[in-house]
Amino acid sequence: MDWSILLAQATVNGMVVGLLYLLMAVGFTLVFGVMRIVNFAHGEFYMLGAFAAYFLTAQAELPFLLSLAVTFAGAVVLGVFLEWFILKPFRHDELNGMIATIGMAMILQNLALMFFGPDPLSMPTIVRGVTRLGNIVIPTSRLYVVGFALAVLVLLYVFLKHSRAGRALRAVVEDFEIASIQGIRSRIYYPLGFGLGVGLAAVAGSLMAPLFSVSPFVGSAPLLKAFIVVILGGLGSIPGAAVAGMALGLVESYSSLFLSTSTADMLIFILVIFMLVVRPRGILGQGEA
Amino acid sequence: MQANIMETQASPGGFGKKHIFIVLAVLALAALPWFSGEFVQHLAVLTCLNVLAINGLALISRSGQLSLGHAAFMAIGAYTAVLLGKAFALPFIPALLVAVLVTSLVAFALGWVILRLKGVYFVLVTFAFGELTRLVLLDFAAFTGGANGITGIPAIEVLGVSFATRTSFYALALVVAIASTWGMHRLFTRPLGHAIDSVAVNPALAEATGLSVHRLQIFCFVVGCAIAAVAGVLQSRYIGYISPESFNTSISVGLIIMLVIGGRNSSWGALVGAIVLTPLPELFRGAVQTQHIFYGAALILILRFMPGGLADLPRQLVARFKR
Repeated sequence: MDWSILLAQATVNGMVVGLLYLLMAVGFTLVFGVMRIVNFAHGEFYMLGAFAAYFLTAQAELPFLLSLAVTFAGAVVLGVFLEWFILKPFRHDELNGMIATIGMAMILQNLALMFFGPDPLSMPTIVRGVTRLGNIVIPTSRLYVVGFALAVLVLLYVFLKHSRAGRALRAVVEDFEIASIQGIRSRIYYPLGFGLGVGLAAVAGSLMAPLFSVSPFVGSAPLLKAFIVVILGGLGSIPGAAVAGMALGLVESYSSLFLSTSTADMLIFILVIFMLVVRPRGILGQGEA
Repeated sequence: MQANIMETQASPGGFGKKHIFIVLAVLALAALPWFSGEFVQHLAVLTCLNVLAINGLALISRSGQLSLGHAAFMAIGAYTAVLLGKAFALPFIPALLVAVLVTSLVAFALGWVILRLKGVYFVLVTFAFGELTRLVLLDFAAFTGGANGITGIPAIEVLGVSFATRTSFYALALVVAIASTWGMHRLFTRPLGHAIDSVAVNPALAEATGLSVHRLQIFCFVVGCAIAAVAGVLQSRYIGYISPESFNTSISVGLIIMLVIGGRNSSWGALVGAIVLTPLPELFRGAVQTQHIFYGAALILILRFMPGGLADLPRQLVARFKR
């Protein structure tokens, strides 16, 4: 096997996984930035997004793009509701808010277990066939996933940079008190920030559902990765989460060429502990703390 | 608020009639398993071991830090005792002592570095340490048995007295649980305990009054983790089997849930939380999902409406009646 082909293949796989991490981590860090809450229920929204994609495309036979939009909207509404109903008293209460999201995660996961059962479901791919780029062979469905994920990120970027609501949200992330002095109503932006964050997790779940299986337990692995990415990128830093997410995906993919997965995982956790202790502001130095 | 402070200060000294009733009730509850079936005895043993582990977690929590890797220290203790016991044919007591020593050293080295972090950063770093521990135990399968774990761990035998039966082990576990709870109560009615509490409430003020926040937090972390190690060793000897999954993050999360529902700032919180929550999953065997939903809802409701936990309930009720 030629090394360049292996490397190119690893790059593509790393990008797919990296985009997944990126979507999870950006939502996660958005929630943390707005509410100062480490959201342990983030993975459960990924799981709900995966189920939504399964039922909307495989059962209701909606087009994938439409089901993606419906899933995102549904997750935002659910997130807004849960923030208002459960998390409202815990805003800016780091520890209690975090413990409350543990409770929320348990409720969501077990509701899913009750309704959908424990068995993993597999979803048909969006499109069949492979695409060849020179010597590199890529399943076309993965390319679609990459395309959709990039589109979501561009939309998010435009929203955060150029819309009024997005700029207000970034101001709240940056400094809550100064933002309120400027007349930004936190009453709106807490639920909105939480809803958007978990909406991104649900989109990630929907995008990955055709590539992996769907079960009530699929949320825990992406949650773990979101933790890692957000720590590496700096809690509350959106660009940091983006860079670290992509980097983690690529590094994992490359390291699988010459390290066993468990060794790579251990090294990553050692790196995480090291980063937290030495540079808690993250690789770009934009995180809080 | 002033009245509350007076009350809490007055209560440890005076041993009124109502305290005797509480002690009698606890004794009756503790004696119950000896007159019941094996299943109740099993639950009672698990409850007592949980009380011990949660007391360790409570000690760390009262110094103002929440550990999400508590089960990892149970694992370090249990694996050290079991592996050394096998390799050098150590009897129980030396194996336990070595396990506690090793765990304390690990906790000291880790705590020295990570206790500078505060709030969620400490939570996340302990979480990462828990995952790292699990991965190491899984990966070094040549020593630890990997995912298969270690089976056939012998029952405890001290000076010819065997704790192989459920009833005898329950006696041991009960003594340990009561001793740890009593120890917590004694500690937090003493100057050292007050110093620890003050570190949690206001670290800057504590530092300004001449307390070393870092040193006190390290003390609590090391002792709390050592207690976890004892709980891990006892559990491994009782069940006879350990694997990395016996001590994964969901175990740590479960301990936190019991602590929060029981009461974080009370010496009785661990006792109450473990007694209320340990038997529940077993009693609701048929409907595990409803059970977990109940756990999650209870957790949120307690956080919202009773931040002091169930152990704080009597005081709240008294305060309401007096008003």
